[in-house]
Amino acid sequence: MKDELITTGHIIGQTEDTLVSNMDQDKVMMSIQTGKYYNLGAIGGRIWDIIETPTTVGRLVEVLTLEFDVNQTVCEEQVIIFLNKLLKEQLIVVKEEASVNL
Amino acid sequence: MIMVLTSEKTVYSAFGMRLTSEIALPELTRSVELTEEIDVEVAIGDLSRVWNEERTIYHSFYAVLDDQVLFYIPDTAIFSIQDGRKVIVSPIAGADEKKIRLYLLGTCMGVLLFQRKTFPLHGSAVVIEGKAYAFIGDSGAGKSTLAAAFLSKGYSLLSDDVIAVTLSDEGVPSVVPAYPQQKLWQESIDQLGMESSGYVPLYERDSKKYAIPVVAKFYTEPVPLGGVFELVKTEDDHWEIEPVEKLKRFPMLLYHTYRNHFISLLHLEQWHFATSASIARHVDMFQLRRPTVGFTAHYLASQILQLVSHKEECTNER
Repeated sequence: MKDELITTGHIIGQTEDTLVSNMDQDKVMMSIQTGKYYNLGAIGGRIWDIIETPTTVGRLVEVLTLEFDVNQTVCEEQVIIFLNKLLKEQLIVVKEEASVNL
Repeated sequence: MIMVLTSEKTVYSAFGMRLTSEIALPELTRSVELTEEIDVEVAIGDLSRVWNEERTIYHSFYAVLDDQVLFYIPDTAIFSIQDGRKVIVSPIAGADEKKIRLYLLGTCMGVLLFQRKTFPLHGSAVVIEGKAYAFIGDSGAGKSTLAAAFLSKGYSLLSDDVIAVTLSDEGVPSVVPAYPQQKLWQESIDQLGMESSGYVPLYERDSKKYAIPVVAKFYTEPVPLGGVFELVKTEDDHWEIEPVEKLKRFPMLLYHTYRNHFISLLHLEQWHFATSASIARHVDMFQLRRPTVGFTAHYLASQILQLVSHKEECTNER
């Protein structure tokens, strides 16, 4: 799928070829494909944990607004920006909601 | 070839392991307690058949089976390291025994450590004020020479080739002592004002590098890791030292992991990454760039001592 096209209906999951570890409050990651290193930060790390089970963006935002002091509009905006960055780095897989059998 | 066989199995200790060996390993510390459990057994055996069966399937010089690593050094020996518990050496006729020991104490120990989930860094480590400091870097970067400078100032050695790092249950890294030997090039021996005639060349084809026993200066207990210094040679005319930022610590630790190609061969990527995160999190890491010419190990040692003791003071003041 094209960049910047993630919407609340999409289902987000982790790619398998990453190495992940917690470091203080942050989550750090290495892409086995590219050998690049990332620090997802604390909230990014929480997002990573949530999408271990493929989750819709809408559901993800719902969980985050319950756990963090943030309003839904801002949260959704930020989450979509973040997910697009992860997608660009090939760290997540994105599926259309309809194409997945739950 | 004449292989020195020990009459009864001698027990050695190295890298926190208790070893028995059918091949005498004079470089290692003899363990005094005879009743305790043995961690690793080194035996002589015939590996020619299993090697010939396995080699074609894999690479030409090593093979990884389920819980076994096999590797072959031409004119020397075939080695098998099994499950972190057993090493079998199959010497080739006419092999140089010193060279066999070099691989036993080098690659074999490295593989044993991987199999036992102990993180092996390539470099030298010394004890300063109750903490271990590791010097890592490419061959010729000055790791051993720097360690030797510390020893001449009265500090103790933990390792001069493979630094074995273990984690506590809380993830705090410590260095386990290796064995009391330094390896120094002729020019380093000269620079430090030592005399090479009393030392044994490491093996015949490598006569410019000497084995220096340092039993009296060897530390025998595990020590918390206090810092890691990567030594890098530069063309500049001055030296500098710079802290390494968190994410850059990962590729640095990976690059300087001893025999790091075994990480993926043994499917230890996730373990290695998680252990790197623990080390990177708990320990100060620096890159020390020093000029190719005009390098004095004594000067760098005194600069590192200043940095380390300054950090100690800062910590105490808090």
